[in-house]
Amino acid sequence: MFFFYLLSGLFLGWSLGANDTGNIFGAAVETRMLKFKKAALIASIFITLGAVFEGSGPANTLGRLGSVDALAGAFTVALAAAIAITLIVRLRIPVSTSQTIVGAIIGWNFFAGRLTDYRSLITIASSWVIAFVLSGSIAALLFYLAKPWINRSKVHLLEQDLYIRYALIVIGAFGAYSLGANNIANVVGVFVPVSPFKDISIGGLFVLSGVQQLYLLGSLSIVTGIYTFSHKVMRTVGKDLFHLSPITALIALLAEAIVLFLFASRGLYNLLLSLGLPTIPLVPVSSTQVIVGAVVGIGLAKGGKNIRYNILGKISLAWIAAPVIAFIISFTMLFIMQNVFEQKVQQETHYIFDRITITKIVNDGYDNAALSVVNGRRFDSEQDVYHELSEQHSLSRQEIVDIIQIAEIYPLKVDTIKLTQSGMQRQFSAAQLLALRQYEAATYRHKWQLRQVLIRYPGFELYEAPDTQLKKEHNRRIEDQLNTLYRIFMVEETG
Amino acid sequence: MALLLKTTRFVESQIDTFLDMVSDSATTFQLAIEDYLGERYEQFEERLTKIRELEHRADDLRVSIERFLYERTLIPENRGDVLAILENTDEVIDNIKDSLLQFSIEMPDIPSELDDLWVQTSKASVAAVEQLVFAVRSFFRDLAAVNNYIHKVYFFEREADQIGEKLRRKIFGMNIELSQKSQLRFFAIHIEKISDAAQNVCDRLSIYTIKRQL
Repeated sequence: MFFFYLLSGLFLGWSLGANDTGNIFGAAVETRMLKFKKAALIASIFITLGAVFEGSGPANTLGRLGSVDALAGAFTVALAAAIAITLIVRLRIPVSTSQTIVGAIIGWNFFAGRLTDYRSLITIASSWVIAFVLSGSIAALLFYLAKPWINRSKVHLLEQDLYIRYALIVIGAFGAYSLGANNIANVVGVFVPVSPFKDISIGGLFVLSGVQQLYLLGSLSIVTGIYTFSHKVMRTVGKDLFHLSPITALIALLAEAIVLFLFASRGLYNLLLSLGLPTIPLVPVSSTQVIVGAVVGIGLAKGGKNIRYNILGKISLAWIAAPVIAFIISFTMLFIMQNVFEQKVQQETHYIFDRITITKIVNDGYDNAALSVVNGRRFDSEQDVYHELSEQHSLSRQEIVDIIQIAEIYPLKVDTIKLTQSGMQRQFSAAQLLALRQYEAATYRHKWQLRQVLIRYPGFELYEAPDTQLKKEHNRRIEDQLNTLYRIFMVEETG
Repeated sequence: MALLLKTTRFVESQIDTFLDMVSDSATTFQLAIEDYLGERYEQFEERLTKIRELEHRADDLRVSIERFLYERTLIPENRGDVLAILENTDEVIDNIKDSLLQFSIEMPDIPSELDDLWVQTSKASVAAVEQLVFAVRSFFRDLAAVNNYIHKVYFFEREADQIGEKLRRKIFGMNIELSQKSQLRFFAIHIEKISDAAQNVCDRLSIYTIKRQL
C-alpha cells in the first residue's frame, strides 16, 4: 500500500528530473559541449548521491513546517504539489516543487486542524528570495573575477573550450549533487514520517537508513525523469536562458551549484556553527529561480543590457501564487480523499486539560488564569485549542503552541525491541540506549512525560538556555531523536 | 583528458601552420611582383610555383583542421565561426595565387613609370593580409588585441584602394593603347582584391569577437 501511495511522490520526482536537470546541464547540452547521454549519466549519479547522503537537512526544515502523519495524507499532499506545478509551469512561470510543496503542506495543516509553524514558513519563504538574490550576487562576483583573468590568460580558444568542457562536467556534477541534496525533500519529504523502511546494514560497513532508502527511491524517480523527458527540456532551457557564451554559462552554473549547496549542506551548516558564523537555513529552493537569478546577475554585471526584466515579475509572482494554488488544491483534494474515498489523511489527535497537564502547564510558568476556559476539557483539533486560548489575549502564539504540545495525548510505551526492529537504534548512542532500557515497558500518556524522564540522562541532556548556535543545534538534534522515539514508541490509546 | 589535450594542441599547431602559410604567401606575392617589375621572370615563376604549393597545402590543412574539429567535436559552440574564418582566410591565398597566375599567363607589359604605384598598391594589400594574420591569431589567443589588428587591416585596405585608384587614373592618363589600359586596370583591380578579401575576413572576425567576449 505504501508503494502505491508513494507514487505521487515519485511523480514529483519524475517531474523534478525532467524539468530541473535542464538547469544544471541545459547549457552544456545545448551548446553541444556535452552529449545528452553523458549529461544524463552524470546527473543521475550525483543527484542520487546528493539525495541519499545530504538530503536530510532541507527535509527536516520542511518537516518542521508540517508533519503529515498519515500515508493517504502524504500521497494527497505530494499529488497536490505535482498538479499545482504542472498547472503553473503551463503558464510559463518559473516555479519549482519547493514552492508548491509548501503550499500543499500548509493545506494539510489547515485541513487536519494543525497549527503551521510560522517561523519555519518565514525561514522557507525568505530563503526563496535570498537564494535568488544570492545566486545573482555570486554569479556577478564570479563574472567580475573571471573576466580579467580570462582576458589575461591568453589560452588558445581550443584549449579554453576543452577546459570549459571539463569544468562543465565537474561543476555540473557538483550542481547535480547539490540539486539532489536540496530538492529530494520536495519529492519524498512528506513521506518521511510515514515511511516503513528500516535501516539496512550493507556488509557491516555501511548503514543505509530508512530515510535514505526513501530518498534513494525518490532519486530513482528523478533518474527516470532525466532519461525520459529531460532532453527536450534541457534544449529549451539551453535556448531560452543561455544566449550566453560557454564561459558565462559555466559561471551561471557554478553560482547555481554553490547556492543549492549552501541551502542543502549539513556539513557546511555544522562548520559555520562550530566557527560561530551565521548559518544558512537548510531549505529546499527552486533550481529554476536560482539559475535565472544567476543569469540576471551576470546580465547586470555586463551592464544591464539584454535582461528580460519581466522574468523578475514572474518569479515574484511564483513565490506567492504557487503556494496559494497548491494550498487550495491540497485542501480540496484532502477533503475529497477523506470524504469521497474515505481514506485516512491524518492521525486523530486529542488534547486534554486534566489535572496532570494543567499542573505541568502551570509549573512551566504559563498564565494560569487563561487556562480556565479549557480546564477539564478535551479537544480533537489543535486549532480548536488555539482559538479558545487565543481569545484570552494573555498568551502569545508560541506560548499557546507550547501548551498545546503539553496537552496532546500521545500514548507511548518504551519498547527497545521495537526500536531495534525499526533499525533506528543506530541513531542513538550507547548511553542513550542504556537510559531507554531502564524504562523498558514504561508507559506515558504525553510526549513530554517521556521527554522529562529522558533528559535527566547523559546523552539526552539539553542546554537550558542555549546562547550559542552550537548549543541550539545540540538541542535540536536531541529533539529530533526524541521525535523519532515518540514515533516508534507510539501505541493506541486505551481509553 | 591528456589525449584530448594532445589532439587539441595538435589542431592548434595546424591552425598556426595554416596562418604561417597565409603570411608566407603574402610576402612571396610582394617579392614576386617586384621580380616581375624588375623583369626577373624566372624568379617570378619560381615564386608563383611556391605560392601554388602553399595554396595547395593550405587547402589540405584547412580540410584536415575542419575534419578534426568535427570528428572530435572540438569547440562545438565556435566551430562554425572558426571554420568560416579559415575558409575566408583561405580565399585570400586563392586571390594571391590567381593574381600571380594571371601575370604569368598574360605577361602584361607594364610601363616603368607605373612601377612605384604598382609596388605601393601591392605593399598595402600585403600589409592588410599580414595584419589579418595577426588578427586571426589574436582571435584564438588574445581576444582583446583583435580589434587593433582589424583596425589596421581596414587601414591598409583603404590605403590599397586609394593607391589603386591613383594607379588606375595614371594608367588611363597615359598615352598607350586602350586595350593595354584595360588589361592593366584588370591587374590593378586584382591586387586590390587581395586586401578586399582580407577585409571580408575581418568583417566576420569582428562579429565573432563580439560573440566571444564575456
